[in-house]
Amino acid sequence: MALFSRDAGPEGIGEKAHTTFSRGAGSARGPKMSATGISQILYLPQLVPTLLLVAYGSLIIWSASLTIAEASFTRQLVGIALGLVAAYAMWVYDYRTLANMSTALLVAAALLMILPKVPGFGYSAKGITGWVRIPIIGLRFQPSEPAKLVTILLMASLGAQYNGRIETLRDYLKLCGILTIPFLLILTQPDLGTGLIVLVAGAAIIICAGAPRSWVLVTIGVVVLGATMVVVTSMTPGLPHVLKQYQLNRLIVFVDPSVDPSNNGYNLQQAKIAVGSGGFFGKGIGNATQSGSGFLPEAHTDFIFALMAEEFGFVGSTVLLGLFGAMIFASISLAQRVDSPFAKLVLVGIVTMWSFQLLQNVGMCIGLMPITGIPLPFISFGSSSMIAQLMSVGMVQSIWRHRPKAA
Amino acid sequence: MNPIVVIAILLAIVLVTLVLLVLVNRGEARFTFDIGGQAPRASGGGDNSAEKGFKTRLTGLSIFSGSIIGVLFARLWAMQLVSADEYAQQAELNRTRTISTVAPRGRILDRNGIELVTNRPSLVVVASPDVIDDEVKIQHLANVLGMPPMAVRRKIQDQTEGAQSQRTVAVDVSRRMVAYIDEHQYLFEGIHVEERVQRHYPQGTTCAHVIGYTGSPTQEQLKAAEEQASDTGISYESGDTVGQAGIEYQYESVLQGVRGEQTVYVDADGNVLDYASSIDAQSGSDVILTIDSKVQQAAEQGLVDAIERVRKAGNQVCNSGSAVCIDVTNGDVIALASYPTFSPSDFVGGISNDDWEMLSSEEAGNPLMNRVIAGQYPSASTIKPLSTFAALNYGIATSESQYVCSGYWTGFGEAYGQYCWNHDGHGGVDLRQGIVYSCDTVFYEIGKGFFNSDNPEGLQETYRRWGLGKATGIDLPAESEGRVPDAEWKWSYFTQADDYARSWQGGDTTNLVIGQGDLLVTPLQMACVYAGIATRGKIMRPHLLKGVATRTGGGTVIDYESEVALTVEEQDASLDLVQSGLQGVIYEESEAQASHFTNMKELVAGKTGTAERASDREPTGWFVAYLPADNPRYVVASCIEQGGYGSESAMYVVRDIMGAIYDEPDTSNAIDTSGVR
Repeated sequence: MALFSRDAGPEGIGEKAHTTFSRGAGSARGPKMSATGISQILYLPQLVPTLLLVAYGSLIIWSASLTIAEASFTRQLVGIALGLVAAYAMWVYDYRTLANMSTALLVAAALLMILPKVPGFGYSAKGITGWVRIPIIGLRFQPSEPAKLVTILLMASLGAQYNGRIETLRDYLKLCGILTIPFLLILTQPDLGTGLIVLVAGAAIIICAGAPRSWVLVTIGVVVLGATMVVVTSMTPGLPHVLKQYQLNRLIVFVDPSVDPSNNGYNLQQAKIAVGSGGFFGKGIGNATQSGSGFLPEAHTDFIFALMAEEFGFVGSTVLLGLFGAMIFASISLAQRVDSPFAKLVLVGIVTMWSFQLLQNVGMCIGLMPITGIPLPFISFGSSSMIAQLMSVGMVQSIWRHRPKAA
Repeated sequence: MNPIVVIAILLAIVLVTLVLLVLVNRGEARFTFDIGGQAPRASGGGDNSAEKGFKTRLTGLSIFSGSIIGVLFARLWAMQLVSADEYAQQAELNRTRTISTVAPRGRILDRNGIELVTNRPSLVVVASPDVIDDEVKIQHLANVLGMPPMAVRRKIQDQTEGAQSQRTVAVDVSRRMVAYIDEHQYLFEGIHVEERVQRHYPQGTTCAHVIGYTGSPTQEQLKAAEEQASDTGISYESGDTVGQAGIEYQYESVLQGVRGEQTVYVDADGNVLDYASSIDAQSGSDVILTIDSKVQQAAEQGLVDAIERVRKAGNQVCNSGSAVCIDVTNGDVIALASYPTFSPSDFVGGISNDDWEMLSSEEAGNPLMNRVIAGQYPSASTIKPLSTFAALNYGIATSESQYVCSGYWTGFGEAYGQYCWNHDGHGGVDLRQGIVYSCDTVFYEIGKGFFNSDNPEGLQETYRRWGLGKATGIDLPAESEGRVPDAEWKWSYFTQADDYARSWQGGDTTNLVIGQGDLLVTPLQMACVYAGIATRGKIMRPHLLKGVATRTGGGTVIDYESEVALTVEEQDASLDLVQSGLQGVIYEESEAQASHFTNMKELVAGKTGTAERASDREPTGWFVAYLPADNPRYVVASCIEQGGYGSESAMYVVRDIMGAIYDEPDTSNAIDTSGVR
């Protein structure tokens, strides 16, 4: 946990290493930055917890596959393998090239989002039409997952231009405006959950790019007001219903779980029972009655955390949060130390995405957040998410590998 | 709380906070999250440098991510450590279901261990009430079950098992039909096959009125069982088999088992995954009756034959009757039959409305009615022994009293003349002969004597002393009390009549003394009276329960202990006179009648009776007798409604029962034409 702290350890990476960097000094006196051997090219403080998390996730999916027919352990392993290949590609690729490709990134994001609407590519599952089936190969994926990463890169490349200070309102509005493009495109999937992640990660990038506080607060106020208007009009008969009924139900259940429109309250209740009944050590692999006997719906995808918490208990939950914490703070620590504003902003976006997805997914299992279909990164069953998340890890590793003064 | 209100409040809070923040932070401030504020950096970098801006913003990001992990951790701590037990309990509740298991109902056996009622598994097709709206489904079902669609429709419409409950469409369906329905479940939504345990009657309709029948528990029974559940442990569920009449009802608490409990683990769809703890169901106990099947069958057949005999003789209105045989030494009911009868198996799986209406209808002779205990008739001449006791006790007559019968008695004046049944007159008769020949004149005199005496209600007192006017206390539900009329009763009964008609008249006493008029008795009451005469005053309580046996243990766990219902004090001389008179009835009254009994080794004593009823109805025929007269063991009584003379109807039933007991069938074909009553 010392990785992210300014005051970490006697030879920490704190002020000294940082200032060295900021001055552009060529010396490699900072112990972390002068790492030798494999740590020269791999940022282990972030990579190790990630790989442990993936391994832990595989164990959970394997245990889910014992009782849930759709949870195919093999398919998950294939997803991990594909993800690692993609991550390797990202790692080898010099991310800096992307800093000047904002237009291409915007086009890529738009293309990904339009793809499901193109005849021959579209594919529907679970009420969300946002799936793409690659012709001939027949492989299916959710374009909104890679779109998250593309949007982060896009916003980072734009935000980096201002070198930490957004001076004019025009620039600020331009950034906000461009962020709404992928956001709105994701909403058309429709996938409100992923849209929210993109919005939050993009907002974090804009803020860190140096937007004046008052502008940001006014923007947040406008967004909250707008969202409330959307909810209120959707609940009022006669006014346009922007939100779908199932989305409204999830909000209603979040406010008052005792009502149960279309089983959302039941799902939440079952998830909470699963988590709580896990106790300290958990019920053990294969002994989870909530997820194993079908009381907990979507136990291998959206509610995977509840399954884990039931089988491995508080110990397992702590390990999971610890690994997430380690990789998140290692990434923040890296962001502190790298020089390039683009790299910093990319890391800000990725860290925000992980943090927000963690909050959203775990939070929904324990009644802190409304129910959304957001997967738990590295854990939930599903290849699209796994590949996109591992690509993000590859991105972090690429930033380490291509740091200017090292090696 | 209304979600809109909550959202509105949240919105207001957010807006106010934002406005305050904007007001406080006017200017070009950027997010710094720099706790240290203006403190100079070690690097000496300018406060406004891009580098410092990033650094502090990244610290903000750390706080953002750190607080997310912190909040989640705190919440998980609360759920998985603090409230873990509570959640574990809920999870356990989630996956366990307790199913109550049916306890087999006890059997009903006769005194020799012959099964009268037992259980058998049965496949039953049941349908949800809403199937009635689906014509196609009904048609399908009718085809499969081989029933007319109309019948299927009526079964589904039938609400006797409760408006919400599943409707029994067919009982005892074949495996083949079940297989078809199971394989084509898509055609038969709302229709299920259930395996049930049904009551089974190996002896058919034998003993129907004794056994009674079963059905689903009524609302009252459900409620009563709930209130007493702590004592009996018996609880009912809709669809259970519960006694509704007869022994099934009387000994419900013995026959009904105690449901077991099976705790199972289920999945979210309710499929049973595994079995947890279980409490075994306790079978109901077997009830052993005092009934002897052989005698019982003779009684039932005897009734059928006797009624047939009467009808063949030209009396087509005769259609019902009853007979009972009791062991006078202990009150054991050996046979108890009522006609017309019913089939208890009609009630298995729920009786249809049509069947129920038929079984309760007057035109069909009210087959469900147990006439032995619930049929009330004037006793007719069978009361004469009691009238004799009364006369002797109150000094109205002595064993030496002599009477002259001219066939027409005018003791209350010419205007109130009454016939003896023998219009030719019996001539000079004494008290014993009055019984033997059933001479009404003798008893008219006795009645007149009572009417004019200081004890005008001495007759009623005597009748009551012998148990008339109140239930015998047999272990069957719905026993009638009968009626011993007196002045007070008459006054309050005929409220519409004028005072003269309401007041007790001499004619009422002379009617009463020969068992006509307003006196009402049940065949069982008369059997008890004659049992008392046979035992010289000790009337045992009639009962059907011989013992209770457990299914598993073998042997009886409870044996019925006979009890004296009534002890009647009469002088020995009086008893001798009456007993002698009753023997005389059998052997002296008429040759034809005697011929039916002289072919038996046992001496018989008894009395005929012919109760006049309304003028448009044939009289009710009675015959009550006990044997062996010298060492009484059994009393047999029979009563045929609209059967005419007792000697031409009920006598045959009694004789058939006696024949079955002693294996001495009646060989006489003589028909009594004397018109003896």
